[in-house]
Amino acid sequence: MKRSLAWGALSVALFLVAIIYLYPLILVVINSLKTFTEIMTDVTALPTAPDFQNFVNAFRLLEYPSLCLNTLIATAIGTIGVVLLSSMAGYRLSRTKTRASWFVFIICVAPMMIPFQSFMIALVKIAKILHLTGSVYGLGVIYWGLGVPLSLFMYHGFVKSVPTELDDCARIDGCSPLRAFFQVIFPLLQPVTMSVIVINAMWMWNDFLLPLLVLSGEKKAMTLQLAAYNFFGQYKIEWNYAMAGVLLTVTPAIIFYIALQKHIIKGMTAGAVKA
Amino acid sequence: MKSENLKRHLRSTLEFAGFTVPAVIVIFAFVELPFLMSVLYSFTKWNGLDKVPVFIGFANYMEIFTNDPNMMQALGFTLLFTVFMVFFTNVIAMLLAVALDSKVRGKNVLRAAFYVPNIISMIIIGYIWRFIFSKGFDSFYALTKIPAFQLSWLGDAKLSFVSVVIVSVWQAIGFYMVIYIAGLQTVPKDIIEAAMIDGARSSTRFFRITMPLILPSITVCLFYSLSSALKTFDVIFSLTFGGPGTATTSIALDIYKTAFSDSRFGYGSAKSVLLFFLILLVTVFQLSLFKKREVEA
Amino acid sequence: MKRKMLAVVCLVFSALLLFAQTSKPVVNKNPVTLKLMFFSPELTDQYNDMAATYKAETGNTLDITVLQADYVTVLRAKLNSGDIPDVFMSSAYADNDTYKDYCYDLTNEDFMKQLEPTSMTGVTVNGRVIGYPFLVQSHSFIYNKKVFADAGITVLPRTLAEYDAVCKKLKAKGIQPFATGFKEWWVLPQTAWQVMAPIKDSFGGDYAKFVDQLNAGTVKFSTLKEMNTVFDVLDLIKNNGGPKPMESDFNDQCSMLASGKVAMIHQGNWAEDTIRKTNPTIDIGYLLGPVSGPADKAGIMFDSNQTIRIAKDSKNLKAALDWLRWLTTSDYGKNWIPGKILQLSPIKGAKASKAELAQATMDLLAKKTPNYSWYYQRFPTGTEQGLGIILQGYCAGMTNRQDTLKALDSSYKKIVDASK
Repeated sequence: MKRSLAWGALSVALFLVAIIYLYPLILVVINSLKTFTEIMTDVTALPTAPDFQNFVNAFRLLEYPSLCLNTLIATAIGTIGVVLLSSMAGYRLSRTKTRASWFVFIICVAPMMIPFQSFMIALVKIAKILHLTGSVYGLGVIYWGLGVPLSLFMYHGFVKSVPTELDDCARIDGCSPLRAFFQVIFPLLQPVTMSVIVINAMWMWNDFLLPLLVLSGEKKAMTLQLAAYNFFGQYKIEWNYAMAGVLLTVTPAIIFYIALQKHIIKGMTAGAVKA
Repeated sequence: MKSENLKRHLRSTLEFAGFTVPAVIVIFAFVELPFLMSVLYSFTKWNGLDKVPVFIGFANYMEIFTNDPNMMQALGFTLLFTVFMVFFTNVIAMLLAVALDSKVRGKNVLRAAFYVPNIISMIIIGYIWRFIFSKGFDSFYALTKIPAFQLSWLGDAKLSFVSVVIVSVWQAIGFYMVIYIAGLQTVPKDIIEAAMIDGARSSTRFFRITMPLILPSITVCLFYSLSSALKTFDVIFSLTFGGPGTATTSIALDIYKTAFSDSRFGYGSAKSVLLFFLILLVTVFQLSLFKKREVEA
Repeated sequence: MKRKMLAVVCLVFSALLLFAQTSKPVVNKNPVTLKLMFFSPELTDQYNDMAATYKAETGNTLDITVLQADYVTVLRAKLNSGDIPDVFMSSAYADNDTYKDYCYDLTNEDFMKQLEPTSMTGVTVNGRVIGYPFLVQSHSFIYNKKVFADAGITVLPRTLAEYDAVCKKLKAKGIQPFATGFKEWWVLPQTAWQVMAPIKDSFGGDYAKFVDQLNAGTVKFSTLKEMNTVFDVLDLIKNNGGPKPMESDFNDQCSMLASGKVAMIHQGNWAEDTIRKTNPTIDIGYLLGPVSGPADKAGIMFDSNQTIRIAKDSKNLKAALDWLRWLTTSDYGKNWIPGKILQLSPIKGAKASKAELAQATMDLLAKKTPNYSWYYQRFPTGTEQGLGIILQGYCAGMTNRQDTLKALDSSYKKIVDASK
């Protein structure tokens, strides 16, 4: 009895902390429903009458559906590529215990320490040569190179927990190594795959600087983050529009996270921790 | 017999290549090659626009060490920021993880709540917090008359450091919390229970038993938080742009300003090469230190 | 479970596709599409309006990318990688040199003769015109006329002492005199260098000579006596700029002035649009900025700085020039700046803008009030931000005057050396 009371108290305390923690975001929600004059008078007050006009305007001005699709395409191409490339390489590198393998591993994970700002100009040059600029598809491909190091690191660690006997089983069956990997091993990597998907998808969905540099800003090849950024620039003073715009850009990511939340912790347990 | 061996060797090499080469190619093409190009630029005087950079040897590197107060200021800021950031992020994330790995009610909702800031883009985080620090704090002050809300949180040189740390920690905690929760779930419950029966106090239990068992999580979290704090850019870029003056300019931001606003692309490249080595040094040191501990534990 | 999720994803995807399809514009039969890179995102609506009209009149498409703080970074990355826009913007003066490898020489284009010769100074190098002056702008202190009248201020200030007196009067009435704008690195240099504007008199009335000597190192900030007044003015603004002077940005300046919470801001005529968003009926005007010299030297800064450049390697060079000609000679083009952007146009005989600050500028010029060119744009590219940040450090109390001067000199020298 006493104990459950203590748990209840802790729970209440944590919910209070969470509310304070999320208060900045709560303010965003409150203010996205206000008119311009209401925002200017008091930020903390609740809106007198919730006004969804801001959302209607932001939805239209951001060209939300088509930009959402663009961002989704880049994120999907990027994430799928990263998962495939890094799981294959991470698996093989973890299984091969030679000096060459160690060397390749270092080559693959060292880029985690390179600050993006230090190579971005040259990256744009290379992207241009490879005809990857100006389209969300090209953007997705560039993400492969940027995303693989961390993901490979996570796969590399996780593979250690998969018994090597399974490799041999697959081989005896006489499948090609690639088929054996995707049929037998890859499904076993599912927990860490989930984490890799979430981490990469979130980052690509939210990324700003690379799309800014690589997409030429044309409407047909623009991501939500870029549009939101321009939106802030254009409606500098209309905080109410901007707040609605913020919520529109953030919502898909939050939904995606909540949908996968269960898997993320499982993946981390297995993945990052054993790295 | 020999040819059979050779064949097997060849096959396994081919297999190795087949699995790893695609990853190596994309990493090389999109990270390492451009970085090597930057290394080359670091030996030139180039504004990033002229068609021909001028080779000047080690002059850029000499200048960094002998005549660049901005870089030294940025280095000092970055190191201090890293210390605070790594400490607070990990301590708070671990505390939350312990609380949310317990039998507390509604822990899934709470976990999601603390993770949410981590899934919002930096551009938007900066925008939201600028709004809070300016409009929000004005309203809070009018409401509560607490003097802290009237301080210049983004305008004062010392306070702006605090603000940058607060926002960065606020944004990062969720991610590390998840890793720690993951680590705690691998701790066998019977060990803890055994210790409870032995009558160990909860703090002793935590430091003596739980901590060593989640040392791998700690290693990973320290590694991530160290390397991201040393590279910190986004929050500062959109929150203070390094100001007031150069008070909150990190090395990465200093590089960005040197390359793009001072038009000294070659010089900025030299700084970024050094930043890479700094990060490499710090993280490798940390990893080797902790890997050794893990083995001992 | 998994199948359900897949179904939901597919549904969302196809819904998005549908939406995306329906919102697409009609396909253009004319193949010419120009790529343009502009800054000043607050003008996005006007840019789009112009592009729509151009398309309706000629069938050609203008694909305009509008950026703000990152403009220079993106432009550089694009120029550098060979992904060159057909048309881009930059500043005048020092940027002529920065983008020299990329600008098309407009000297012999017929439509350039339609522009006011005075607006060409900033884009002319050795007699060659390598840019198209986009807007003519002015900046100085802007004041809220009603707030001044309510505080009983009838004589407008011109000197530091007069400004000081005005601040005291305003404060006595409980009104904050300034919103500083000191969070923006570009506001500080504009405010500071205006104070020093009469310096050209010491160089035979020629800013080029002043900047040449500054570049050569024979003149230094630390030895310019004018810098004292610069610091005095910055101090005055800061000390009368409310409890958080270092957090005031452009938005804050505009909304505070518009709502009558402050009496003055240092800004330019481009701010009027934003000011009127908060208060459409506000009555505002220019004050003459205090300078390091006699009172009758107080004036406003007036120049054409925002410059349109045609990329010389553009595949659509002719189309780009045709567009610029249309912008200069068509009825819509001539009316665009005064009528839609509500600023001053460099085209000869352009209509007067009905914006209050644009009119105030024209009135002051007509009255022969001192006006100075934006000479600080002659400082090498990069100094605007570099020096602005140093001045920001001074205002935040991080450096004293002496150290600030030293920092200005060394930062200036570095950028000059790099640009040689």
